[in-house]
Amino acid sequence: MTAVPSGPVRGRRGLRKPRRALAEAVAVVVAVLVAFPLYWMVLSAFKPAGEVRSDRPLPWTLEPTLDSFRRVFEQQDFGRYFLNSLAVAGTVVLASALIAFLAAVAVVRFRFRLRTSVLVMFLVAQMVPIEALTIPMFFLMRDLGVLNSLFSLIIPHLAFSLPFAVWMLRGFVKAVPEALEEQAFIDGASRARFLWQILFPLVLPGLVATSVFSFISTWNDFLFAKSFIISATENSTLPMALLVFFDNETPDWGGVMAGSTVMTLPVLLFFVLVHRRLVSGLGGAVK
Amino acid sequence: MPGLGGLAVKVSARIAVCAATVGMAGVAVAGCAPSTSTEDSGKDEKTGTVRVWLFKEVGNAPKQRVVDGVVERFEKKHKGVTVDVRYIPIDSRAERIKGAFNDRGSAPDVIEYGNTDTAGYVADGGLADVSEEFKSWPAADDIDATAKKSVTYDGRTYGAPLFVGVRALYYRTDVFEELGLKPPKTLGQLTETARQIRKERPKLYGLAVGGAYTYGAMPFIWAKGGDLADERGGEYAAALDSPEAKKGIKAYTDLLDDSNCPPARCSQWGGNETVEAFAGGRAGMAIAGDFNRQAMEDGEVKGDYGVVPLPGEKSGEIAPAFAGGNNVGVLKSSSHRTLAVELMKELAGKRAQEELFDAMGFLPTFTDTRRKVAEREPFVKPFVETLDAGTEFVPVSPAWGEIDASLVLPGMFQEIAGGKKNVDAAAEDAAKKMDKVYVK
Amino acid sequence: MSLLAAPPGNGAGGGGRSRRRARPASLQGHRWTPWLYLAPALLVLAGLLAYPIYQLGLLSLLEYTQAQVSGGEPATFRGLGNYAELFSDPQFWDVLLATVVFAGACVLGTMAVGCALAVLLTRVRAVPRLLLMLAATGAWATPAMTGSTVWVFLFDPDFGPVNRVLGLGDHSWTYGRMSAFAVVLMEVVWCSFPLVMTTVYAGIRAIPSEVLEAAELDGASLWRTWRSVMAPMLRPILVVVVIQSIIWDFKIFTQIYVMTGGGGDAGQNLVLNVYAYQKAFSSSQYSLGSAIGIVMLLILLAVVLVYLRLLRRGGEEL
Repeated sequence: MTAVPSGPVRGRRGLRKPRRALAEAVAVVVAVLVAFPLYWMVLSAFKPAGEVRSDRPLPWTLEPTLDSFRRVFEQQDFGRYFLNSLAVAGTVVLASALIAFLAAVAVVRFRFRLRTSVLVMFLVAQMVPIEALTIPMFFLMRDLGVLNSLFSLIIPHLAFSLPFAVWMLRGFVKAVPEALEEQAFIDGASRARFLWQILFPLVLPGLVATSVFSFISTWNDFLFAKSFIISATENSTLPMALLVFFDNETPDWGGVMAGSTVMTLPVLLFFVLVHRRLVSGLGGAVK
Repeated sequence: MPGLGGLAVKVSARIAVCAATVGMAGVAVAGCAPSTSTEDSGKDEKTGTVRVWLFKEVGNAPKQRVVDGVVERFEKKHKGVTVDVRYIPIDSRAERIKGAFNDRGSAPDVIEYGNTDTAGYVADGGLADVSEEFKSWPAADDIDATAKKSVTYDGRTYGAPLFVGVRALYYRTDVFEELGLKPPKTLGQLTETARQIRKERPKLYGLAVGGAYTYGAMPFIWAKGGDLADERGGEYAAALDSPEAKKGIKAYTDLLDDSNCPPARCSQWGGNETVEAFAGGRAGMAIAGDFNRQAMEDGEVKGDYGVVPLPGEKSGEIAPAFAGGNNVGVLKSSSHRTLAVELMKELAGKRAQEELFDAMGFLPTFTDTRRKVAEREPFVKPFVETLDAGTEFVPVSPAWGEIDASLVLPGMFQEIAGGKKNVDAAAEDAAKKMDKVYVK
Repeated sequence: MSLLAAPPGNGAGGGGRSRRRARPASLQGHRWTPWLYLAPALLVLAGLLAYPIYQLGLLSLLEYTQAQVSGGEPATFRGLGNYAELFSDPQFWDVLLATVVFAGACVLGTMAVGCALAVLLTRVRAVPRLLLMLAATGAWATPAMTGSTVWVFLFDPDFGPVNRVLGLGDHSWTYGRMSAFAVVLMEVVWCSFPLVMTTVYAGIRAIPSEVLEAAELDGASLWRTWRSVMAPMLRPILVVVVIQSIIWDFKIFTQIYVMTGGGGDAGQNLVLNVYAYQKAFSSSQYSLGSAIGIVMLLILLAVVLVYLRLLRRGGEEL
């Protein structure tokens, strides 16, 4: 980011030490509070079955066990589900980044009729309950012949990640000074070259930012996963492995917590990997 | 958009619909309301692949072993036939099974389904009528009456019962001993016993009950001679406002009270919360199923509980319990109908049911098989007694799904427990809500 | 939608450049060029969203349940019958009001917590910052069904630690209408503030440090710095986040459904999406469900358009 300073905010000198200590204390306390439900989830995953819902809700367990994790991993095709989830989320993240980039360029760098309408239109589909959309989408998928394949998950998730991605990237593209653009063309760059070799790297951090969002929402989806993958159970995704434990009459909370822990870890890993770019990248959304 | 025109939508309706659409949207669009053909495939192939969907249980391996055995025997008997079994999470069944109805290409030939869904699936055009085959199946005579009712809709049979789940009264043997109590013999005694436990052990709920625990409450209504709905010539009408039903509602909601299970706690409980309260050592008694045994064994009450049938109105009677469970059915769209029906009979046959009991603890639906396994496993005795005493079922109508989902009964119990309405007013309102769904 | 179609010449664009100069001649090709760039996005959205929404409008005028889809029943035209059924249900109006108030509270709570913590993040060193960000990402990444379940466990009067720590005995959090909404609100804020926090924090970091230093030298309070320096500069981010939060929180489902047992004691905690599920989707009454969907769409569209209008009036260019 040439135009946007991305280093940490300087000027800390003015900040008196006790105030910073207080701020850090607050930050740590908040972090602990926010993490506590997560801790409880992981803890419950390691507790023996009878302790998860017990009269003595201790924040530790003296008999940690891997039983719950075993029930998760022993499920038929668990590894396959994991790879399917990865394939769907990965494709959606990449495709939505590319498509949203082009769309964002269009709405920022061009003035045309219906520009604002298009932006608002992007949001419209999110405004109805997804359950209401699944029935027409189901028939669409059926007639396209993609039902039961991973495509039937990729396409709708792409559609649902795009609006947020376009709106976010709009800010990033805006932040790239237009002088840069003019300069590039004066230097004789073609439009394609400008787009992909100059503009694209500049907004890349922004793309990373929106991809965290796309990744999480695709990774955690239950509804499409159970509506569009019907007979081909080998094409199921991870949430289906978690769903087994949510039984109305006899839920297996240990399994739920272990399964969720297993599902949350890759997302945390993904975040740690992209975290530096995210923090420097999101800043591009501000002029 | 190609191919979206429904095949089964009547032509006149389609034209009306399309015309309205065009008028409204101002766009000529070929697509009308999507639908799926309901015609039978017309084929009845004797070779090829028979596809089966069964529910995926937590700890599915033992079930899978039993099914693998059935499949092996079946494939040996029918040359050139392979059976493809898929396990689907129970919580995804609504979407999957609807998906199968909507897309014949994805549909299996045989499915396992919850027995309260029978009527709905029939109305959706999904299940095949197997009345003739069922009648000529010798084993069918030994299936208990309520289980038969659960595969029947409008006088026709739509599957074979696979197993039955039923609830009885769990009680804490240690608490009963300390307080010198005996398992109650009547519903009246049940209430007294519950209150006494709560009085002497204020940390315990006497009998764990829940405002949203419909299946726990129904026996009270049935024991007093009431019912949820009456059938008159194939049409249902709510019966919750009958004097008998109201007595049952009162008996149940009297338990949702500070003297037993305070509404602030228990009003929102469903079945599983009452089981957890009991398993966690917070209740003297609970109404729980044979399928809840594992939860009790994992919990703090391990070794300190016993089970008796839920008592009825008079001493010696057993309150009619709700007979839950699953059935196996054949899909209307199956192109292997004969084979599918054969496989259904094998999967839900006596041998498989007995094996499933040994593997998963699922109670057989054949009365003779059930007695046989009860001798081997004393734990199931009170449940078998309850079944033998006669069980009841929810009104077999497609409307039940909506009544259940819109929480009409829980809402009624909760309004009474919270003092928002009295029994009369709440029961009448609930009956009105039910009737509104029935006349739709 | 023409309400918002950008009227040219009103170019109060952030930097105050004139429109003519803002248009780089070189990237501007044919007047169809922007549409070319938009094409992939529009194609996906038109196919997957516009078309299904059109169908939704159509279905909302029919009698259309699973029996019509696969049961061979004819789909009959009901006109506005589904809407009439919906509007004549007094419960619908109660639920609508509750939804608007609850969603509003969720948006405010999420924005307030997210922005406050973002500012806090700029005041601390790397280790506490990373701790807070990791915790927040974990909350964000937890599947909603699990997150809601864990919160129920934490606040459980018999088996949860919260009452033990606070010494509340067997006080039930989900029995009272307000306290049940409050617990759900906390869970919603818990899982949605991370997006706001991360986004806004990054935005603040991109503000030129001289600006913030100047504010500090002026002795401006934190609140004043936020009001008059940060918030205006973060406008584009805040707009996106507010609009998305409104849309998500208005359609909240899982948290209410799981935490209040399908809408609370005697339905006191119902919100629109749960109501729609109970009345329509669970029993496959697609036409009624579509009508509810269309109503929700219109309400949200109105809210978003009014919001954008207000922004435009405030001089913010879209």
